[in-house]
Amino acid sequence: MARWVVGALLAVALGAGAGPALAAPQTPAEAAGEKVIPLERYTTPKGQALARVHQQRLQRYAEQVWGCLPWLDLQKQSIGFQRPKGVPGDDRYFSTWILIPQAENKQFSALPQSRRMSAMFSRYGVDMMRRMADVHDVLADSNVHGFSVVLSWLKPGTSRPGVQPVNESVAAFIDKATGLDYLERRIPHAEFARRIRVMGFDGQTDLGPQTLDIWDDDFAATFKLPNYEPPAGISC
Amino acid sequence: MTRTQIFRAAVVLGVLAVTGGCATSEEWAEWKAHSTHFASDQHMGFSMRNNKDGSNPKVTRRDMESSPRENWWGKVITVRPDQIFEN
Repeated sequence: MARWVVGALLAVALGAGAGPALAAPQTPAEAAGEKVIPLERYTTPKGQALARVHQQRLQRYAEQVWGCLPWLDLQKQSIGFQRPKGVPGDDRYFSTWILIPQAENKQFSALPQSRRMSAMFSRYGVDMMRRMADVHDVLADSNVHGFSVVLSWLKPGTSRPGVQPVNESVAAFIDKATGLDYLERRIPHAEFARRIRVMGFDGQTDLGPQTLDIWDDDFAATFKLPNYEPPAGISC
Repeated sequence: MTRTQIFRAAVVLGVLAVTGGCATSEEWAEWKAHSTHFASDQHMGFSMRNNKDGSNPKVTRRDMESSPRENWWGKVITVRPDQIFEN
């Protein structure tokens, strides 16, 4: 067994004993409160108005994602109405940024970086879009231009002892019509991939626009963590 | 080392060189087929801890929050939000 795996297991065991000393959120509401972008961070009237109207709904959405996908984490202050950097205008995208604890894995490591981005988006990006699409009142708001999903995971080979851990990330912006057409299977994978805007990052290095190869992957929708009990008030 | 051994070693090195830099179709198929490699080590850790005495078979979100990934995310170099978004 790899040394880092042993270390991880040991840390889990020690963490269990540490209990309340760790500053982990206690409730879904506390956790979600950290993940939703606070009102004061919005700098345009459109962004502020969207946040004011939908903040409570975003909170419930964050609680649901946090409680039902326990092996993932949500980036702090990432759920909200973001606009892409460097794009004129003020198009606001319903946004979610998740952190994926990808273990070192021979098959995954052997994939080219662009293929890893495609695999992660197929597995988690589409699932996040589907979860966001279920927030009907937010999606129905004409001031919401579309979906934004950011996925980050540990770059293979960087979780070993003595190596600086680095995240690979993929950020996608999808206009509402394209997203809904794709989720309802009115357009094929290839057309969806062609119509969305995707950027890739290796750590903080901007890899520029990416073209993804997207396929069906129902892992995030179907996988159940063995013996997992959702927090009180959360139904998965 | 005999000629046969040298030949075998060369074949092994050759295969590694060809397949080392990219995924073979078999590897790709295997990755797609084995969906639970995500966080599998954490799952194993929780499972071991909770089932040890048989009294607490449940895993909670708080267990996950206490996992070592907190440290991973804390130290890891990640794209900054302002590289992607404007507020």
